[in-house]
Amino acid sequence: MRRALDNLYAAAGVAAAVCLAGICVLMLAQAFAREAGILIRGADDISAWLCAGSAFLALGHTFRKGELIRVGLWVERLGAAARRRAEIAALLVAVLCTGYMTWAVTRFVFESWKFNEVAQGLIKIPIWIPQLSLVLGTLIFLIAVLDELVAVLRGEKPAYQLAEEARRNSGDFSEML
Amino acid sequence: MSTLDIALILLAVLLVLLLGGLWIALALAVTAWVGLQFFTSTPPDVNLFQSFWGSSASWTLAALPLFIWMGEILYRTKLSEEMFKGLAPWLGWLPGRLMHVNVLACGIFGTVSGSSAATCATIAKVALPELKARGYDEKTCLGSLCGAGTLGILLPPSIIMVVYAVAAEVSILKVFIAGIIPGVLLMLLFSGYIIAWALYYPEKTPLETNTYTLREKLYLSRHLIPCLLLIVFIVWVMAAGWATATEAAAFGVLGAFGIAAASGGLSWVSFRDSLMGATRLSCMILFILGGAAFLSSCMAFTGIPKALASFVAEMNPNPYMLIAVLAMIYIVLGTALDGVSMIVLTTSIVLPMVEKAGFDLVWFGIFIVLLVEIAEVTPPLGFNLFVLQTMSGKDSTYVARASIPFFFMMVLTIALITVFPAIVTWLPEVVIRK
Repeated sequence: MRRALDNLYAAAGVAAAVCLAGICVLMLAQAFAREAGILIRGADDISAWLCAGSAFLALGHTFRKGELIRVGLWVERLGAAARRRAEIAALLVAVLCTGYMTWAVTRFVFESWKFNEVAQGLIKIPIWIPQLSLVLGTLIFLIAVLDELVAVLRGEKPAYQLAEEARRNSGDFSEML
Repeated sequence: MSTLDIALILLAVLLVLLLGGLWIALALAVTAWVGLQFFTSTPPDVNLFQSFWGSSASWTLAALPLFIWMGEILYRTKLSEEMFKGLAPWLGWLPGRLMHVNVLACGIFGTVSGSSAATCATIAKVALPELKARGYDEKTCLGSLCGAGTLGILLPPSIIMVVYAVAAEVSILKVFIAGIIPGVLLMLLFSGYIIAWALYYPEKTPLETNTYTLREKLYLSRHLIPCLLLIVFIVWVMAAGWATATEAAAFGVLGAFGIAAASGGLSWVSFRDSLMGATRLSCMILFILGGAAFLSSCMAFTGIPKALASFVAEMNPNPYMLIAVLAMIYIVLGTALDGVSMIVLTTSIVLPMVEKAGFDLVWFGIFIVLLVEIAEVTPPLGFNLFVLQTMSGKDSTYVARASIPFFFMMVLTIALITVFPAIVTWLPEVVIRK
């Protein structure tokens, strides 16, 4: 179970990374093709979809790595027992919120599939195909939040906290702006 | 219930959620849901979908992950060592000598990186031990690194600027170009302070023992040339209108790989780490932008920004007064929030009143970026303080105290651009005539 979940987050993270690299490749291809007098149809639409894909598919992975930011001023100063209660409260609200989000986006995309809505740009594909990244991304995020909630209820430290502490100790600041 | 009452209720909800440690994007989304569900007749779920999807599925915003990736690649190269070796021989004649390497190297790295913490960490990694070994004053060294590290977000490309430009719906390119002169001005002020300090305490600057001929200087600086070419290339490509910001960012990634390969720092591990790091960082930012877009739609339906703007307009404040009050509010926000959240949280509310008071939105972008920089060097939540605390082993209060003179240079820059707005607006008007 643990390995299957970790693989799920990692696989979605890699898919998101591929989307990100895809934007770069597409933009370069477009610039060079234009010099050669060739127009890549709909490249702007595809890069927009890839941008969304890279953002949403990475949610679960980013969350577990402790890189979805929050205000730590109060939580990080609590003692171990109080911190655990605060984490449970935050995770419960997060479960409700991500659960609602998953329901809302799934319903919306399901309807666009049912009514066969087509993308408005140059590429006439059913719009639910690129929008699937939002459904999958929020669903994986919901699973990751539930996963952490279960871990904290069992008395373990959440993965996001462990990851953040490890980063601080090794002097890695690449996730800050 | 009046609109202002609703605004206060939503503000209270948001503050409780944020301070309670809920993830920022989710806190924004919950607040937006509360506003739409209880104070309007609009269904929140449709708005939620359109906000999250519409904000991320954006061709303009696709520049953001690419600029982040470019910075992540260069962060993992030996660029900072080359920078120190290449810049040091040129600065021995100035009062304060190698202390100026901190400012200049941060400025140069800031033009290829869009992040302050990364700029500060990259330069400090090399400069801190080198300057300490040569007997330079540690306090001023830390202060100058802390201050100059913030140049990463003022000099283009800048992640914070992309976020602002998208939120305020102004041209990314214009905001980038508008940051150049204030950035150079800030560098001059930092260096000017170091000169004044060095003249006042001459005993604190060790003598330079090495002397170089021009040929030696050029030879030592040879590794800086690719980096400088990359900067010139990116700015030129965008300013000449040959490529959009997104395409320029893609060329930036390509150039960064070239520099990494030339310095021998390119491997499968560094490629993977840079790409995954960039994916996570941009996921975090884009998700916050989604939450903020949801909150903005809630704001539009409740009419809060309009009510506040006319409320402020009725008081008919002096524009300088308004800017001073906003600066104060942002400094307070900066004690608890990071730069991206500061911007996306406030733009939908603040921009209508700023526009009504007659300020240019590109100018206001630079104003906010400078305030985000200040937030990075002020406790308790200052990213650059964290970076230097870890690297020097001093506590963050010591680093914060060391940065005070540099903090005042940033405040001075804000005062200067407020009194002389042309410092910001002149260059974009000249370069972009369209």
